[in-house]
Amino acid sequence: MAEAEATGLIAIGAGLAVGLAGIGSGLGEKDAAAAAIGAITEDPSIFGKAMIFVVLPETIVIFGLVIAIMAFFVL
Amino acid sequence: MLLPESMSRVVVVGTKSRLDEAIEAFYDVKSLHLIDHTTGADGISIGSPLPNTSKASERLLKIRAMEKELAIGKATDVSKVSVEDVRGQIASGGVENVENDVLKTLDKRNDLNQQIAELNAKKKNLGILSKIPVDLELYSGYRSISSTVGTVESDPSSALQSLQDVEYFVSFKKKEGGAVAVFARASEKDKIAAALSEFGFAEISVPDGSGLPADLLTLVEQRLQALDAELEAIKEDLKAHQEKYKTFLRASEEELSIQIEKGEVPLRIAVSDHSYILDAWVPAKKAESVKADIESRLGNDVHVEIEETRGRKLHDEEKAEERFKKAPTKQSNGLVAKEFEYAVSLVSVPRYQEIDPTILITFFLPLFFGFMIGDCGYAIPFMILGAFGLRTTRHKDWRAIATVLFFGGIWAFLFGFFFFGEALGMHFVGVGGELITDGGKQVSWDALLKVDFPDWFSGILPEFIHHTAEGEIVHHGVGKLVEVTFLLKLSVYIGLVHLVLAYACGIANKARQHGAKAALFEKGGWLIAFTGIVVLCYGLTRVLFDGDGFVGLTLYLIVVGAVLVLVGTVINFKMEGAQAVIELPGLIGNVLSYTRLAAIGMSKAGMALAFNYIVFGMIMGISTPDFHVSPIMLIIGLLMLGFLHLVVWTLAILSAGLHALRLQFVEFMTRFFDGGGVKYEPLRIKREKTILYSKTKEEV
Repeated sequence: MAEAEATGLIAIGAGLAVGLAGIGSGLGEKDAAAAAIGAITEDPSIFGKAMIFVVLPETIVIFGLVIAIMAFFVL
Repeated sequence: MLLPESMSRVVVVGTKSRLDEAIEAFYDVKSLHLIDHTTGADGISIGSPLPNTSKASERLLKIRAMEKELAIGKATDVSKVSVEDVRGQIASGGVENVENDVLKTLDKRNDLNQQIAELNAKKKNLGILSKIPVDLELYSGYRSISSTVGTVESDPSSALQSLQDVEYFVSFKKKEGGAVAVFARASEKDKIAAALSEFGFAEISVPDGSGLPADLLTLVEQRLQALDAELEAIKEDLKAHQEKYKTFLRASEEELSIQIEKGEVPLRIAVSDHSYILDAWVPAKKAESVKADIESRLGNDVHVEIEETRGRKLHDEEKAEERFKKAPTKQSNGLVAKEFEYAVSLVSVPRYQEIDPTILITFFLPLFFGFMIGDCGYAIPFMILGAFGLRTTRHKDWRAIATVLFFGGIWAFLFGFFFFGEALGMHFVGVGGELITDGGKQVSWDALLKVDFPDWFSGILPEFIHHTAEGEIVHHGVGKLVEVTFLLKLSVYIGLVHLVLAYACGIANKARQHGAKAALFEKGGWLIAFTGIVVLCYGLTRVLFDGDGFVGLTLYLIVVGAVLVLVGTVINFKMEGAQAVIELPGLIGNVLSYTRLAAIGMSKAGMALAFNYIVFGMIMGISTPDFHVSPIMLIIGLLMLGFLHLVVWTLAILSAGLHALRLQFVEFMTRFFDGGGVKYEPLRIKREKTILYSKTKEEV
């Protein structure tokens, strides 16, 4: 019983880690991507630089994913 | 290979009378990157286009207009023509002859189109009038009576009835709408129009003619048919024209564009009354041969001087005259690496003085992509798609994607086979010695196909031993969702190597641009701080995860790490102030960012695991090694398998591709890459479709 409870809590924790990190990344990327698309329309040559700024917040969700994976398989 | 090619600056001075010959020579050496002349202290201004250029522009304009009318474009299939032929034809007024011929037909076509449009309008009106039994000549020719004719949306009879001294005809059908003709005093016309406007009235003009409209309608229809036939004939003519002239038009378009480009060179160089001066960059290794080449062609009428060979010190650039400051960047990469130049150019063109990261990207981008995919089953379609793309497409965006897919696919196959030992998310050899676990939740290829694979199908790494409450479990091959710790550690180590390489490039760049001392202060400090953070974190993980105390090796690691961080930060502080401290935690983030290499792979593996369970566990009902599947379920299962893995595969392109690129752009290149160089673009004729070749078989 206790073990099942612990597994359930781990699952909830993992879900929260990915979910919340995903929301955070999304909020961050939303603004950057909107601005970047506007900028690329003006000058397509800055695509690479714009992409860097857009994907910068992406790291956060990867951290969330790593924590979730570790919660499930390592801890 | 790492640095852009060394460049020399040359000055060419010659007599203006042979300028056109000189321009031919400049194009033939194919390596002069022109430096645009700006009127400066010397007071010499730019020249004017060669005499024939404006005529050529005029002809080119005509040709492009004709090509548009005849629907001749880049995709049109044309045969090759020799340069002499085209030049001869253009000189003898070929363009004008074609124009006359084509224009005549085009004029005829436009005429016909106009007539047809007019007749169609007439036909429409007659169609409406034919509903009303009034002869055409009766609509007009009165002194005090005016007629109002048009269409209505609803029946106006009741409203018209109430008006006095009015004669009207209404034909109304609910579905088709109606027509109305009203005859009244000329002075009442406005009143009539106002009354009708409530019924959605739209006036039409009554065509000239006599007799019943229906009779005239037949005549008009006959005339239209005749005109349509004529138009068809003219369209055939135009097709014949297209067929007849397409080769000449395409060839002369190319030839004239080239003439114009050459003719406009004087606008970019200094020209005085009797001479011209041209400044240009030439690859250093070609400088002597270019000089000899131009001088041999123009003899005593030209003088070429090699002014300087630009070094890599930034100081050289700063002290140069404004327009000579930036030497162009000519990347020198091999056949494969060349395909990745575009990826680098998405960020920026490398500077003349810095390492061109293309070759490093060529290695790491597909490597990371392949590591994240790490699956034979997905790798093979990647390779096929990539190879297909490289063979067929010329568009640089698609080529870049195809290149990554192809080489990434190769790496994915290598990792998939030798490292993970799996295809489509399933191991070749059952993990932990079991073929099917958890009632079909995990199956392996040897269980599915009922064959025995040799041991090396489970990868080249030694087996992993897991200690659990039930005792030791031995796993063969790297399970993406089993050896999680191992994969996470591995990706961090890959990240460390990648980042240290980036710092090394940074130091090399600074050392070359400013000298060793500046390199130490600008980039060396960061390398030291980075090393310190890594050692410190390693020490701390021993305390946190392995339960070590602050003793022995762990203590040494922490102390050494802390000292290195301190030293590095002090060095950085001199250059960058508070930023040296603020950016320290970012270094840890950069390293951990590489865990995405493992994490993306795991997320794909998770999806594949679920899909495989749906297909093999749930649809086919495989739960023991001696399973039996009915043919119908087998077919449904295989179809589902194909579809579901296509989903994983498609997502893999996006996630693995984008994240692999991001690691290059953000973590790697920002460490050392400045960018902002000028691309080397020599005077050279690009005959994209190589329509032209000389009769003497020499490329022109």
